[in-house]
Amino acid sequence: MHFHRRPSWHIPEREVTPERVFLDRRAVLAGLGFAGVAAASGLGVARPAAARPAGEAWTPAPPLDPAYADAGRAITPEAVSGSYNNFYEFGTHKGIADAAQKLPSDPWTLQIEGHAARAGEIGLEDLLAKMPVQERVYRHRCVEAWSMVVPWIGFPLAELVKWAEPTSAAKYVRFETLSDEKTMPGIRQSWYPWPYVEGVTIEEALNPLPFMVTGAYGKVLPKQFGAPIRLHLPWKYGFKSAKSVIRISFVEEQPMGFWQELQGSEYGFWANVNPEFSHPRWSQAQERVLGTGDEAPTVIWNGYGEEVAGLYKDMDLSKRGLWF
Amino acid sequence: MTPAAAARPDAWRRMAGDWSPWHDRGGRLSPLRGGVFALALAPGLWLALALAGAFGPLALGAEPIHEAEHLTGLWALRFLLLSLALTPLRRITGWGRLAQVRRMIGLTAFAYAAAHFGLYAVEQQLQPLRIASEIVQRLYLAIGFTALLAFAALAATSFDRAIRRLGANWRRLHRLAYAIAVLGLAHYALQEKLDVAEPAFLFGLFAALMLHRTPLGLAPGRAFPEARILGAAILAAALTAFSEYAWHATLTGLPAERILAANLDLAAGRPAVLVLAAAAIPALIPLGRRLLSLARPREIAHEAR
Repeated sequence: MHFHRRPSWHIPEREVTPERVFLDRRAVLAGLGFAGVAAASGLGVARPAAARPAGEAWTPAPPLDPAYADAGRAITPEAVSGSYNNFYEFGTHKGIADAAQKLPSDPWTLQIEGHAARAGEIGLEDLLAKMPVQERVYRHRCVEAWSMVVPWIGFPLAELVKWAEPTSAAKYVRFETLSDEKTMPGIRQSWYPWPYVEGVTIEEALNPLPFMVTGAYGKVLPKQFGAPIRLHLPWKYGFKSAKSVIRISFVEEQPMGFWQELQGSEYGFWANVNPEFSHPRWSQAQERVLGTGDEAPTVIWNGYGEEVAGLYKDMDLSKRGLWF
Repeated sequence: MTPAAAARPDAWRRMAGDWSPWHDRGGRLSPLRGGVFALALAPGLWLALALAGAFGPLALGAEPIHEAEHLTGLWALRFLLLSLALTPLRRITGWGRLAQVRRMIGLTAFAYAAAHFGLYAVEQQLQPLRIASEIVQRLYLAIGFTALLAFAALAATSFDRAIRRLGANWRRLHRLAYAIAVLGLAHYALQEKLDVAEPAFLFGLFAALMLHRTPLGLAPGRAFPEARILGAAILAAALTAFSEYAWHATLTGLPAERILAANLDLAAGRPAVLVLAAAAIPALIPLGRRLLSLARPREIAHEAR
């Protein structure tokens, strides 16, 4: 199966559906009106999206990146994708959405560390003001052989990396998830190697595909998806995409991931999607498409080979390590 | 009254005694059998309705078939362990009628195991070659399927005629229930991503039930039943903690010592602690009786006669 990139002017039927756009337009107008009144009355201005509660409408609606307007499959209903989340900080099962509402996502400060000129801390609002926020519809393939399609809002990781100005010593980018025992009950399971850590090479990070996600379904990112800011790497198995990122480090050594440390034979550093390489306990040839009851064949690089295969052209693609 | 009319109620009663889940052997209504039958049907009925969408589209989560598959497997193991618990329970309570529900519970366990496999087959798009190749390639599936085949042999020989025909061999054959439990628990533990707390809990209960089949355990005429129950519970809890430790020390990257140490935190609800509680609670029955007999020695002595 091959996913065709649509020309830039193409808008799929689904996206023509005017409801959200329509509602957003009204919200934009309302927001402008409020801002005008507020400015006139000296009340200040509307807060940017990052400072609003998770789940609130993202206004104004960010532009939809035409290259990623159509994932080749229907968008998974939010009721489904938002109730099936691997987020071990809140529990080892997937029904953590209610528990995750305690996540303290606002205000949020990101630590930028390591070999980068802009190492230091930055508030999420300030960061968003510098980044080209946009909407992209991505396929997500979990290592557990299920998949979904989510319309994310965010900005390319590459933009953040360029802004941070890493030095030549930075070979990898390491992501660290919040680990807060007070609000995250899973952290009490002291035998897990908290905090959750994941990483990519600097070349992978500079690819246009990796996305720093701060919203979904037209809203500020709901907490169970890893609010207020998470990574999404659509050509890798889902566990690589760290949630609720508080620290981004530019490092020399390959970071040891949470799952890699626990079971390196099943969840390695690369974890690129490939239907030919089975998980020890199940085949990766197919995926169960959430919300449909159907199965679809899994595609190498999760169908994003055009964008990312070049990253691995010097590596031995027949080695299992690249796929786990 | 003609002889034929007189015989009819008898024939009816015999049929009810042989086939009805809520009658006993003698054809009398049995609340015990009826109650167990309802208990056996309830989870399956709930699951069937949930799959049909009766409780909303997300009652079983984002992957309903997958969840139903998981739950039927769990109920198969629960009913299998319950069937193994009947003998010790009879010895504790002295309630001989418990033997009347053993077959029903065993067949219930098999029905859930069969449904579990059926749901797996549905998930694999009912493609026989694909199912077969998966079973051959994945150890935990091979183990589960072996258990299912053995279980089918037991279910197929659970009818009166088979029991009569097999004679002494029937008992020998049906000891396979213990092996099926071991295989089922191994299948459960091996499919877990990492944390084996849930299968470890069921393993601990199984260990306690097996300890009652050794000279340490309960048996008619053996003294101090409450001490035997408590002893078996402590041993089973220790076995649970040790097995969980050994599992993580050899098979996963989780720090086994820390999981072992977590057993000391009673509030964490680790499987060994839960096994200790669940397997010790039945000791209250003989203990209560003993206290009663101390309070009212005469009446008890009279009853005993």
